[in-house]
Amino acid sequence: MGKIIIPHIHKIEGKAGFWAEVTEKGEVTDLKINTLLGLRQIESILIGRRFWEVPLVAARICGICPVVHILNCCCAIEKVFEVKVSETVVLLRKVLLASQIIQSHTLHLFFMTLADFSNIENDMDLLKKFPKEAEASLLIRDFSLKITKIIGGREIHPMTIKVGGFTKLPKKESLEALLKEYPKVFEAALVLAGLFKNLVYPILERKTKFLSLASKTEYPFYYNAKVVIGGKAMTIGDFYSNKIEEDFKTPPVKKVKYQGESYMLGAIARISNNRQLLNREAKNVFTDFEKKERKNINNVFYNPFYQAVEIIHFLEETEKLIKEIMERELVETQKEVKISKGSGLSAMEAPRGTLFTYVEADKNGRLLDCNIITPTAQFLNNLEDDLKAYLPKIADFSHEEKVKKIRALIRVYDPCISCATH
Amino acid sequence: MDKKPKIGIFSLTSCEGCQFALLDLAEKFFNFTKKTEVIDFPLIEDEPFPEDIKLDVAFVEGTPITSDNVIILKKIREETKLLVVIGNCAALGGINKIKNYQDKDKIVKRIFRAANAVDNPKIRSVSDFVKVDFTIPGCPINGEEFLAIAEELIKGNIPKIKEKPVCSECVHQGKETCFLRKKELCFGPIILAGCKAVCPASDFPCYGCRGVLKNINPKGFLAALKKISSSEDIKADLEIFGIKDDLEKFL
Repeated sequence: MGKIIIPHIHKIEGKAGFWAEVTEKGEVTDLKINTLLGLRQIESILIGRRFWEVPLVAARICGICPVVHILNCCCAIEKVFEVKVSETVVLLRKVLLASQIIQSHTLHLFFMTLADFSNIENDMDLLKKFPKEAEASLLIRDFSLKITKIIGGREIHPMTIKVGGFTKLPKKESLEALLKEYPKVFEAALVLAGLFKNLVYPILERKTKFLSLASKTEYPFYYNAKVVIGGKAMTIGDFYSNKIEEDFKTPPVKKVKYQGESYMLGAIARISNNRQLLNREAKNVFTDFEKKERKNINNVFYNPFYQAVEIIHFLEETEKLIKEIMERELVETQKEVKISKGSGLSAMEAPRGTLFTYVEADKNGRLLDCNIITPTAQFLNNLEDDLKAYLPKIADFSHEEKVKKIRALIRVYDPCISCATH
Repeated sequence: MDKKPKIGIFSLTSCEGCQFALLDLAEKFFNFTKKTEVIDFPLIEDEPFPEDIKLDVAFVEGTPITSDNVIILKKIREETKLLVVIGNCAALGGINKIKNYQDKDKIVKRIFRAANAVDNPKIRSVSDFVKVDFTIPGCPINGEEFLAIAEELIKGNIPKIKEKPVCSECVHQGKETCFLRKKELCFGPIILAGCKAVCPASDFPCYGCRGVLKNINPKGFLAALKKISSSEDIKADLEIFGIKDDLEKFL
């Protein structure tokens, strides 16, 4: 019996360690991902607080994906108060959410996961080995951050998004300028996808269920009333209330299971569930890849490539949305918010998968309950199951090689420990 | 060639947004790091903190919440000449500190029933644990301000952030659109500037994430606020970014 321990997995958002007990044949008798961040108790501290503080505080769950936390909180509270925001507000929020996914994916691809498939330990060296792709990544990231800033007011923890609408709308000139920049950024996304399409990935394909929002008309990302998991569609309320269980016994993370089993979410799950709804160029790039890799299309190590496809998709989406916004008047859209008691559930696609935010408020708009189920809390069980399936495959490797492969598998998931341990 | 100053960028418990504020600077940040030797930056580097190297400047983000956080923080203090905290969580406890104003033992039971297994301390600032040589404030920090300050710190100089209120940088200053003129709450007049009043510029009031000015007596301002907001709301507003403790005696 041997142990494999990796005290700190670097280059992920937050801190985590890996621990496993393995027989000589490589069979795993015990395995754990340990999250190493403190519990901030963000849901609990919100109870009793005023509703407008919820997006502000919940944004601070995560410095890499605050936008989707803010949007999902606002949307859940709008359900409590039965506020219907204007179409323009929805369009602007969709652009923000697209920028959030592009920004997070790009950071993960170049700075966190690429090194694992190119034998480089230090990111400064990555910049030297892949200068063209580095430039492309920085250009895409810069563009997505600019969008967040123009509409949200700031790149990290934006403050214009509020229950009912926005505190302030962007200027049309700023949006126009984004459209001018778009073609170059789009080209850069193709360059980045080209790199990730041609990397050599290990293969690990274990049967699991893919969760994402469901839609018949668009590649779903902003609020949708339905999810699909393992081919089955259901309302988000049914999924949230009846089909999943959170494990409250293992702080600081509430790990989630679907009917007793692990499941997968994020780019690979979204594309698997909604590939026919991808925008044109994203679909082309994906279809090309699919022709070549059909038999391993659900290989979890491909997740970075799927993120690269989504970057293309969400850039195309951004262009479409901004053009639509440009045809509208950008005037005060704030809906009057009538505070009332009730509860609300919202679900949106965060970069790493479907995010659920539930709130309950009293008649003064103070919180009675709050529950935020993050993508990482949902996929940690799946990651552990994948690691258990993967370790026997690498039983013959040296300890050093094993550690490298384990870290690579953990990183393709793009775990966000700040989100998981909020 | 002169030896480059050695730096480390560390994170305790937080959203890590301040580290992302650095990465968001992209080339500007990489150009800065070229003037230094980056010994440890777990967010983007795989190599662990080597045992025998002393740092010139350690940047620390986040709140010490777990016992491991405290151990690492003390180790960083031992290994570095200058310890610089970055962001509201490290400087003032951040939003995490809202917990201090409620019953923390009850709170943890709201979610985790098996709560004895989790660190649930009263939230304190980094400076309550170790000596802090400089604070770069904000939630998140402003990347440009970080660069200007860090350039000085790596030369061994301790710069000063000018003690001016947020209003001095605010687009609404002296205008009808000023929150306070509209009889809406804003802490701008008593909060340290340097953020370019980024929140008010987005028509969002200042809740004081950069902390209270040192050279002022806020008593009159707080009394005036009571004319536009209830005592209870003012207190709750001061709790968001952990500035209530500093003002308690004036309330």
